[in-house]
Amino acid sequence: MRVIADLHIHSKYSRATSRSMDIENITRFAQIKGLNLVGTGDFTHPAWFKELRKNLTEEPGTGLYRPAEKPDSRVRYMITGEVSTIFNHESSVKKIHHLILTPSLETANQISDRLAEYGDLTIDGRPTLNMTAPQLVEEVMEVSSDNVVIPAHAWTPWFSLFGAFSGFDRIEDCYQDMTKCIPAIETGLSSDPPMNWRLSTLDRFTLVSNSDSHSCWPWRIGREANVFDLKELTYWSVVDAIRAKDPSRFRYTIETDPAYGKYHWTGHRACGISLPPREAIKLGNTCPVCHKRLTKGVEQRVEELADRPVGYRPENVPGYIHLLPLSEIISTVIGASSPNQRRVWNLYDALISRFGNEYKVLIDAQFDELAEVAGVNIAEAIIRVRNGQVKVIPGYDGVYGRIVIFEEPHRELGAPKFKAKKPKQRTLADFV
Amino acid sequence: MFSVRVADARAFRDILSAISTLVDEGTFYITEEGIRLRAMDPSRVAMVDFAMNKSAFDEYVSSGELKMCIDIGELLKLLRRAGRESVELFLDEETGQLKVTIRGKYTRTFSMPTLEASEEEVPTPRITFNVKATLTTDGLHQALEDVSLVSEHVRIEAEGDRIVMNAKGELMGVNIELDKGSDALISLEVKEPSRATFSLSYLSEIVKAAASTSDVVTMEFSTDMPIRLDFKQQYDGKLIYYLAPRIEVE
Repeated sequence: MRVIADLHIHSKYSRATSRSMDIENITRFAQIKGLNLVGTGDFTHPAWFKELRKNLTEEPGTGLYRPAEKPDSRVRYMITGEVSTIFNHESSVKKIHHLILTPSLETANQISDRLAEYGDLTIDGRPTLNMTAPQLVEEVMEVSSDNVVIPAHAWTPWFSLFGAFSGFDRIEDCYQDMTKCIPAIETGLSSDPPMNWRLSTLDRFTLVSNSDSHSCWPWRIGREANVFDLKELTYWSVVDAIRAKDPSRFRYTIETDPAYGKYHWTGHRACGISLPPREAIKLGNTCPVCHKRLTKGVEQRVEELADRPVGYRPENVPGYIHLLPLSEIISTVIGASSPNQRRVWNLYDALISRFGNEYKVLIDAQFDELAEVAGVNIAEAIIRVRNGQVKVIPGYDGVYGRIVIFEEPHRELGAPKFKAKKPKQRTLADFV
Repeated sequence: MFSVRVADARAFRDILSAISTLVDEGTFYITEEGIRLRAMDPSRVAMVDFAMNKSAFDEYVSSGELKMCIDIGELLKLLRRAGRESVELFLDEETGQLKVTIRGKYTRTFSMPTLEASEEEVPTPRITFNVKATLTTDGLHQALEDVSLVSEHVRIEAEGDRIVMNAKGELMGVNIELDKGSDALISLEVKEPSRATFSLSYLSEIVKAAASTSDVVTMEFSTDMPIRLDFKQQYDGKLIYYLAPRIEVE
C-alpha cells in the first residue's frame, strides 16, 4: 500500500501557529491532501497531549492512532514532536532543532517527564531545552529503543544541524557518541536530496522530508512528505523502512524546489544582489555594490561542506520528486493574489472531487482528465510541475524565490480565436 | 512592550481591511514612534506601505522596537464585533499572544496567536513619475467600476489637462475622460504624456477598500511603470499602494 507521510507539523500550542491546528482540522486537510500518515507534533506540550488522549484512539498493535471522532478516516497519526536544544560547544552557542518519533502516548509521556527536567514544556509546543544534542538522544532512547531522533530541517540558517548561523560542519560534532542512534536527516524546505548526496559523510543517513507546517491549509501541510510502499501500516514498518534506507519500501520524498526558499542563494537584499555559491566565493562573500558581507545561502553552505560534484547520485537510495502545492499552481495560472481566494478554491475543490485527493491530482492524473475539470492551462501547469519543467528564480537573503510555470508568453490553449490582446502582468520586483 | 487603544474601532478596522486586500499575514514594525507595515501581495504585483504614528492612537505605549506578525483576517473578525466601541491591543511577548479587548456595554478580551514575523524588508519601487493627479477617491472608484464592465484591465493615459481611461474587451469597449478641475479630478500635473495599463482585479479592489479610509487620492504614474496611489488619511500616518503595470507583449 502507498503511504504518504508528513511526520513533522505543529499544533495550535506552538508559537506562530494557526489556532485551527487541532485534530479535527488536521484530519480534514490531511485527507484532502492525500496524506494517510501524519505526525501529531508537539506531544511534549501538556495541553496538546491531553487533547491527543481525548481525540485519538489507539489502533491496537500498530503504534499508530486514528481520529476518535472520524473512525472511518484513512488518516493515521504517529506521535511526534519537535524540541529545540540550546547548548555551548567550543565556546559558541548552538541552537538545534530535533524531531522525535515515538510509538505510543505512554512512551511520549515518559519522554516528556524526562525532558521537563531541562525546560518548561508548557510555554511552547516546540519547547526550548537546556541540554546538549547527545543528552537529548540519550534521554529519548533510554525510554525506548523504538524511539527515533532526527535532526530537523538540517540546513536552514537558524536552529539547524548544518545551519550557517549556529550549526556544525559535521553531524558527529553535534551528536557525539549518540550519532550512531540517528538514522535519518530531515532535509527541510531549503534543501533536497541531490544537495545532500554531495556529502559522502551523509551516506549512511536516510533523507526524510516533512512540511514543518504551522497551518493546515493544503498549500502548507504535506508540501513536503515521504512516500512508502508497505505491506502494512504500522509505526515499526515506517521506522524500519527509514532505518533500512530501503528504496523498495521507502520509495521517494516529495520536495518543493529548494530554490523557492528564502535563503537558497547568497545575496544582499538591500542592493538586490543574488549570487550562486561559486560567484559569491569568488567575490569573497562581499557585496559587489556596497562591499558589506553577503548573507550566506543554503546552497553555498552545502558547497562548503560537499566533497562531491553537483549531480552526484548514489545508487539504491530512495528517490525524490519536486512538486508544488496545487493551490499555488492554480493561483499562479489564474493570476490570483492568494491561494486562499474563492476562485482558486472553486477549481481546487473541483479537482479534488474528481480525483479524490491532491497528491492524486499532482502525481497520477492524466492531462486530458485534468483539462476536462480545470481547463488546459491548469492541466498543462500540473504536468509541467510533475515533469520538473518549472523554473524557480532562487530566493536570497530573506527574499522568496519566484516560480515561473509558463516561461514563454502565456498561451490561452483552446481559447476563442478572436481574443482581445492581453497585456502581460509585470511584478514590482522588476522595478525595485 | 506594546499596547494601544483606539476610542472608536471603525477607522482602525477600515485601515486593516484596506491592507488585507493584498496581505493575509502582515508583519508590523513597532517602534516608540508608531507602527508601520510594508508588504507585497504573494504574486509581488502590488505593495501596500502603511504607517500609523503614535499620535493617531488614543493611547500608545511601546518600549523599543519589535516585529509582530498577525493574521489580519482573524483580527478583522474580532474588530468587526467592536462596532464603534473602544478597542485595546496588548502584545504578550512571553506567550506571543495578542490580546484584543473591546470595551462597550460589556468588556470582552480575545487572544490570538502572533505568527512568525517576516525577515523580508521590502523596498519601495524606484520610479520617476511624470504624472501626478489628485482625484476624489469616489470619482476614481466609480470610473474603475465603469471600466470593469467591459474588461479585466484598464489603460490610463495623461496628456495636457486630461486623464483618459480606456479598455477594450472581447465585445465591448469604454472610454472615460476626466478633465482637470472636474468633480473627480481635482488637480493634474503632467511632465510628459504617459500611459500604462493595470489589472482591474488589483486596482479596483485597492481603490474600493481604501475608499472607506480616505476621500482624496494622489495618483502618480509614468509610461509602463508602476502606479502609486497615496490615499490621504485623517490620522497621522499614510496608506500608499504601488501596483505593477501590465505590458503589452507582441
